[in-house]
Amino acid sequence: MRVGRDERAQVRGAQRGSVSDLEALFRTHWPRAYRAAYLVTHDAAAAEDIAQESFLAAIRALDSFDRRRPFGPWLHRIVVNRAIDWSRARRLRSEVELVDSIPAPNPAAPTGGDTLAALARLSPEHRAVVVMRYALEFTPGEIAKALDLPRGTVNSRLRRGLDALSEEL
Amino acid sequence: MKRELERIGIPDEHEARERTWPVVHAAFAVRQPVPQPSHWRWVAVVAVALAATLAATLSQPGRAVIDEIREVVGVDRAQPALFSLPTSGRLLVASDAGIWVVQEDGSKRLLGAYQEATWSPFGRFVAATLQNELAALELDGDVRWTLARPRVRYPRWMGTETDTRIAYVDRTGLRVVAGDGTRDRLLSRGGRGPLAWRPGEEFVLAFADQDGRVALVDADSERILWRTKPLGVVHDLEWSSDGRRLLARLGPSRENDVVIYTRGGLPFTRIRVPAGTVTATAARPGSHARAVAIREGDDSRLFVTDARGTLLAGPGVFQDLAWSPDGRWLLVGWPAADQWVFVRADGRGIRAVSNISEQFRSRSFPEVHGWVP
Repeated sequence: MRVGRDERAQVRGAQRGSVSDLEALFRTHWPRAYRAAYLVTHDAAAAEDIAQESFLAAIRALDSFDRRRPFGPWLHRIVVNRAIDWSRARRLRSEVELVDSIPAPNPAAPTGGDTLAALARLSPEHRAVVVMRYALEFTPGEIAKALDLPRGTVNSRLRRGLDALSEEL
Repeated sequence: MKRELERIGIPDEHEARERTWPVVHAAFAVRQPVPQPSHWRWVAVVAVALAATLAATLSQPGRAVIDEIREVVGVDRAQPALFSLPTSGRLLVASDAGIWVVQEDGSKRLLGAYQEATWSPFGRFVAATLQNELAALELDGDVRWTLARPRVRYPRWMGTETDTRIAYVDRTGLRVVAGDGTRDRLLSRGGRGPLAWRPGEEFVLAFADQDGRVALVDADSERILWRTKPLGVVHDLEWSSDGRRLLARLGPSRENDVVIYTRGGLPFTRIRVPAGTVTATAARPGSHARAVAIREGDDSRLFVTDARGTLLAGPGVFQDLAWSPDGRWLLVGWPAADQWVFVRADGRGIRAVSNISEQFRSRSFPEVHGWVP
């Protein structure tokens, strides 16, 4: 992925303390970060928490960020890993009686509800690779690197995920 | 598949972005301090060497030095006495003399020689503590009822027009009593405080326990809803006004000075000030924004997470942040200057009042325990 000159300048500006450059990065990358978190977690409040926490983590690591690399994939890697962790934790929490922490279903069914429901039936690990591949447009190699997985595992999760989705849809 | 995923409507995206930006901006401000805007130049802040202050306290002649320092530390053109609050409401203040109610016109009444106090939910009464007593008071100081309890602390009053509860801690643990003084009972033997009722219609209370964990309990069913891992010393607990976020301010030895939890008890955000300490926070009514006071070395600064830049900076510690009920003004206690500073959240106004300790007949700097309509 190539880094645009604008984005590189924004990252440099943010590293130097420019709020307007940080805001430009935030507004550019928020929609995909939030979307990816929502597609993995299926929970708007959790998606907001995860996307926000990922931006905060990115700020904490901003000084060490290599400006030649694109900002988006770096951020989305944090988002997806946190979303997977959250989804796994939710599975565990449901076994320890923390009903208050389990989010209520969203009152209005969103557009694309069938796809969303089918996606929800995948495991968080399978969901994550499908979202990274088709919503964030990572290559399988980039997914493998981001999730610290062998490329073969990524390919098999993608295949199984797509098979399951095509059966449902 | 790409098209299928793009068809999915993502709820709340815009609102979530607008809620998140102030938080991200605040974290960025902590990482990279923003220089004071020029319109704050008239806030006369004079750096005072700590050594000079310490030396001055050693001898009686040093008293004059302290007085000189006090003349220059703080906000310039401060009023010598509290003539009025900058906006509507009433304050509850604790000083060495006891608990005071301060009216909007600046007049104040001493309710009695109590130690800690909390407003009732609609500001009609006050619950206050002596070392071994919890009392409910009228605003003229008349006592409605008292409860003899050993070493009472952290009174917190919550409820609706018809049903209220006061939570507090005594030697036996965390307890709760109805607003009329009846049905007092032990809620958690390990409860130690601080405490914070979650805003809303249910009686759900966050508290720190004897192991330094924060827990959430349903006060009616007595069921623990969640509990964190041990956090060490917990200085403050405070909910956002919508009950979606719980802020825990931790002791200075912890890696994270502040942890913000979701309603379900999951860590949401951590605030760490690498070269300093968070000394006070206050949730702005009607939003997720917070006022945060940070001490770095001998100096402190104050910012609000949905406003740009530093609102106030100076030597010493900023403490007892309290928002006006309309969320427009923030009261900052500044002991080094013996001032209360009222800062407008948008940075377009500041008012200060000097001689706070003397006005409340106190040797220590008075604490603000709440600002209600």
